[in-house]
Amino acid sequence: MIEINATIIAQILNFLILVVLLRAVAYKPVARLLQQRSDKIKGDIDKAEADRKAAEQTLEQYKVQLADAHKKAQEIVDKAALTARQEHDAAVEETRKEIERMKQTAQAEIESERNRAFEDMKSQIVTLSLAAAGKVVSKNIDTKENDKLVNDFIAKLDKDMFADLK
Amino acid sequence: MHDIGVRETINLFGLTFNIETLKMTWLAMGIVILIACLATRNLKVVPQGWQNFVEMIILWLHDQIDAMMGRRGRMLAPFIVGLFMFLLASNLIGLVPLMASPTNDLNTTLGLALLVVTIVHVLGLYFKGGHYIAHFFQPTPVFVVINMIEEIAKPITLAFRLFGNILAGEILIIVLLKLMPIWMPIPSVCWLAFSIFISCVQAVIFTMLSMAYLANAVKEDHAE
Repeated sequence: MIEINATIIAQILNFLILVVLLRAVAYKPVARLLQQRSDKIKGDIDKAEADRKAAEQTLEQYKVQLADAHKKAQEIVDKAALTARQEHDAAVEETRKEIERMKQTAQAEIESERNRAFEDMKSQIVTLSLAAAGKVVSKNIDTKENDKLVNDFIAKLDKDMFADLK
Repeated sequence: MHDIGVRETINLFGLTFNIETLKMTWLAMGIVILIACLATRNLKVVPQGWQNFVEMIILWLHDQIDAMMGRRGRMLAPFIVGLFMFLLASNLIGLVPLMASPTNDLNTTLGLALLVVTIVHVLGLYFKGGHYIAHFFQPTPVFVVINMIEEIAKPITLAFRLFGNILAGEILIIVLLKLMPIWMPIPSVCWLAFSIFISCVQAVIFTMLSMAYLANAVKEDHAE
């Protein structure tokens, strides 16, 4: 059962042949592939790390830009609001002045109209009074004295009756 | 059913060969090469099928080599991978009916063991030179006797452990089939299952011990 013969030599040779074949067929390609894979994984991890850093940088930049944009937008809005308020104030002021002017014009017109009306009325009253007085007072009173009498009467009338009109 | 212990032999150039062992060795080699070809036929970065299996073995052995042998160990990796895969295939084909393990023949196991210790001594002398010879005389020159016995025991224990385990397993398969009636297959099946376990374990043990011996020769000593 236990017998050492030339088989031992054949087995050693067989095994060496197997090792040589296996090294060529399997070990070398697989070891190369494993190396490639570990290189790839390492490369991927490095790349992912680099990408992450780049992304962080970009994010930082974007944040800065966004903050800038916010600031600028706020400035623009503030400026617009200021301009609008100034314009509004100016318009209000303008309108106020316009109203004031119109009021003054209207008052002046009213004044002059009233004066004119008053003068008109005065002269008409004079004429009417003269006519009436002419009829009532007869020929012994001359025209000059007549006028004076009527004018005094009118002036008195002015003071008493039209005082509230002035 | 072959008779246990009687080996067919042929004579070639005046030398005697156990033809069944040789045939089975070639079969085991063929299986190993076939698996290797299947695994590497279409190598992908994302492994698939047999590539997983071969990669698993190579990665595992690489880890062991790196842990046990250090920097120089990688150059022995193809030898160790080949040794493990051959032993695994050899041990397992003996469990197939009508077949026998090449490792149930002492010629195979002793041949491998002698190959391993030869490589150990050659590499030891190559890498360490005088130090390698000197370490047999440590700690005192008297220890050379014990060290020599140890060195001689290494291949013998390596060879006989594997041979004994595999041959015993196969003998017991035959014995159980003869002892048990055909309608009672449970002991046989149990023993077969156990034999599969033993086949794997013995392949691992032989490979690991070979690596340990090789590590002695290859590993850089920190003391130097």
